[in-house]
Amino acid sequence: MIYLDHAATTRPNARALERAGVFYQTTWFNPSALYAGGTEAARAVRAARESLLSRIADPFVHELVFTSGGTEADNQAIFCGAKRGNAVATLGEHSAVFSAFKELKGRGVEPRFAPLCADGSVNGEELLRLVDEKTSFVSVVHVNSETGAVNDICALSKAVKQKNPRTLFHSDGVQAFGKIPVRLPKEIDLYSVSAHKIGGVKGVGALYKAKSLRSFTYQFGGGQESDFRSGTENVFGICCFSYAAEEVFSELPVNEERVAALRELLFSRLDQEIFTRLSSERGTPYILTVSAKGLRGAVLQQLLSAQGVFAGTGSACSSKKPFSRVLEACGYPQETLYGVLRFSFSPQTTEEEVLAGAEIINRAARELKSRL
Amino acid sequence: MESVVIIRYAEIHLKGKNRGYFERVFTVNIERALRGISHELHRIGGRYLIADFRQDCAEEILSRLSRVFGIHSYSLGYLTENSVEEIYCAAQIVAPQSGSFKVETHRADKKYPLTSMELNAEIGAKLLSERKGLSVDVHAPQHYVYIDVRENGKALVFGSFLQGAGGMPVGTSGKGLLLISGGIDSPVAGHMLAKRGMTVELLHFHSYPYTNEQAKEKVIELSRELAPYTGTRKLSTVSVTKIQEEIHAKCAAELNVTLLRRFMFRIAERVAKREGDACIITGESLGQVASQTIEGMTSSNAVVSLPVLRPLVGFDKDEIIERSKKIGTFETSVLPFEDCCTVFLPDFPATKPKLSFIEAEESKLNVEELVQNALSTLETISF
Repeated sequence: MIYLDHAATTRPNARALERAGVFYQTTWFNPSALYAGGTEAARAVRAARESLLSRIADPFVHELVFTSGGTEADNQAIFCGAKRGNAVATLGEHSAVFSAFKELKGRGVEPRFAPLCADGSVNGEELLRLVDEKTSFVSVVHVNSETGAVNDICALSKAVKQKNPRTLFHSDGVQAFGKIPVRLPKEIDLYSVSAHKIGGVKGVGALYKAKSLRSFTYQFGGGQESDFRSGTENVFGICCFSYAAEEVFSELPVNEERVAALRELLFSRLDQEIFTRLSSERGTPYILTVSAKGLRGAVLQQLLSAQGVFAGTGSACSSKKPFSRVLEACGYPQETLYGVLRFSFSPQTTEEEVLAGAEIINRAARELKSRL
Repeated sequence: MESVVIIRYAEIHLKGKNRGYFERVFTVNIERALRGISHELHRIGGRYLIADFRQDCAEEILSRLSRVFGIHSYSLGYLTENSVEEIYCAAQIVAPQSGSFKVETHRADKKYPLTSMELNAEIGAKLLSERKGLSVDVHAPQHYVYIDVRENGKALVFGSFLQGAGGMPVGTSGKGLLLISGGIDSPVAGHMLAKRGMTVELLHFHSYPYTNEQAKEKVIELSRELAPYTGTRKLSTVSVTKIQEEIHAKCAAELNVTLLRRFMFRIAERVAKREGDACIITGESLGQVASQTIEGMTSSNAVVSLPVLRPLVGFDKDEIIERSKKIGTFETSVLPFEDCCTVFLPDFPATKPKLSFIEAEESKLNVEELVQNALSTLETISF
């Protein structure tokens, strides 16, 4: 199997899984319980929180709320943060943000969407033009999950705050966390991440939030997560998330360089007569999106999967639509949109896999071309 | 007094000498529908009784019976001795606490000491004297208490008639092969013929890799949803990928669909004959899409000798959707799975293809080899 769909999900990190599993076997108590076992579980959650928080943020400025995943973190940020006036996002958002923004309309907040450049990054000027004195919330995806384009969220958040200091700035960091370096400046109020994109398990995510934000309760109940998100903590998933993050962050710069080389290697080996590159070189090294001329990405994907190569055709969550809303917003013609294939990597991806994968991809594309 | 479900059958009483056969199939179908629920099935006069089941299974039994063809109506009620006291005990459970009601007695046992009217009066009066909120209304009552005095010293007491699925027991009208696509129409077509007693077998054409696994899963799910009516628990699939590619490469684009359908019919006929199916069933409705014109249907019929049944031919889409919702297949039918079959769809399909033109285009293909090739991809999925 050659798995090139790491932007959809990653294989769980075996060491993290093992460590969290061993811990959870003995410390399965409710972290809210007052006896020793409960206290120990609570301590583990606290350690994970501190560890994850300090990876990208200043614990004096930000705090961290565990959620059930990236989607919930996005939803919490948006529905707790965008409560009046208008809210601005980009057309490159993942559905977790995009659909939540559409829902805002019914809640009396006007959603606005800033257009994209050809590589999938937001047009910063247009974004700022949409921000006015009534803007309560801005959301800019850190790494576009379909093209890999990186938005300069640090600069954008500063510019937004300059225009309207009362606006909250959120970024969906699901495809960036543990992959590209970032330190959250104080202008970024909210940042969503997900565990299973970096070797953690599904069902865990987190929202980094500025400590100054109060009344940010999303789920009511027993008061866990400082009352911001009630529900018994997913102790196993949280520990696993923190252990997996330890590994990816310790190697982040090395991995970034290595994966960037793999991305270039893969593209250089693809048949240039068939494949056009959509991902910019300036984008995340972890994603290479291409379009196969005259072919359907979805069909090619199936031929590939039959030969043990797994790739994506765009954001997995939106694969029920004929083609991608995000790539359409980049301005590509319909024919390009139909042919989209997304290859995404992890630090574990090897050169051998990429070379063998490229060969199978070329063969499958040529075969399909000859059949039609 | 014992809790029972009373089943009355639909058209079987019309049958003459082969009535025994119809009843045997009917019994088998009921047993199959109730598989997994412990119960006893008894015959009593012209009725069937389900007894000896756990009380918490009653709702499940009623729900499953609602999908068995051949049932005219059914009721949840009580089987008692035919003494007035025993009947009254059951009537107390069946009768409401308040509102208007009427007691209606039917006597199969004509030697029973009380006439129907007398028994009505007796039970009605007892209930009235005990429950202050009750009143009698013989014309438009809110509730009924039905009493059915049987010939074997027993009586049935129940509060309502639930309408059954009607039709004839599946298996009494031969076997047919339904071409099931994953859309709204074909499950409805299958349902209609099952209702008339036909055993409906299922054949699905896919064009992997142009159609995907999820699309196939969807068809399996639809088949599963149809199974409570048809009893069919297997689905055959055949790949027509090669055929589509050949047509696409060699024939006039506007005939793509027409030619493909002719291949599908040929393949279906071979499968049907192998399985002993007497006909091909499709969900076609006249004029619904370009290939479902009378010319389109004629061109498909021309390549097979088995009859092709199209129960939906005169239905509007709205009517089909309504039935689909009732059967319970609609939600699955409209699941949006990417279907790359559109690769092969021409911009302007022929709506009135001439047979001579079709045959000329088809002669560019090695029909028999393609059919054999497709048949070699036949797979059977049990679910």
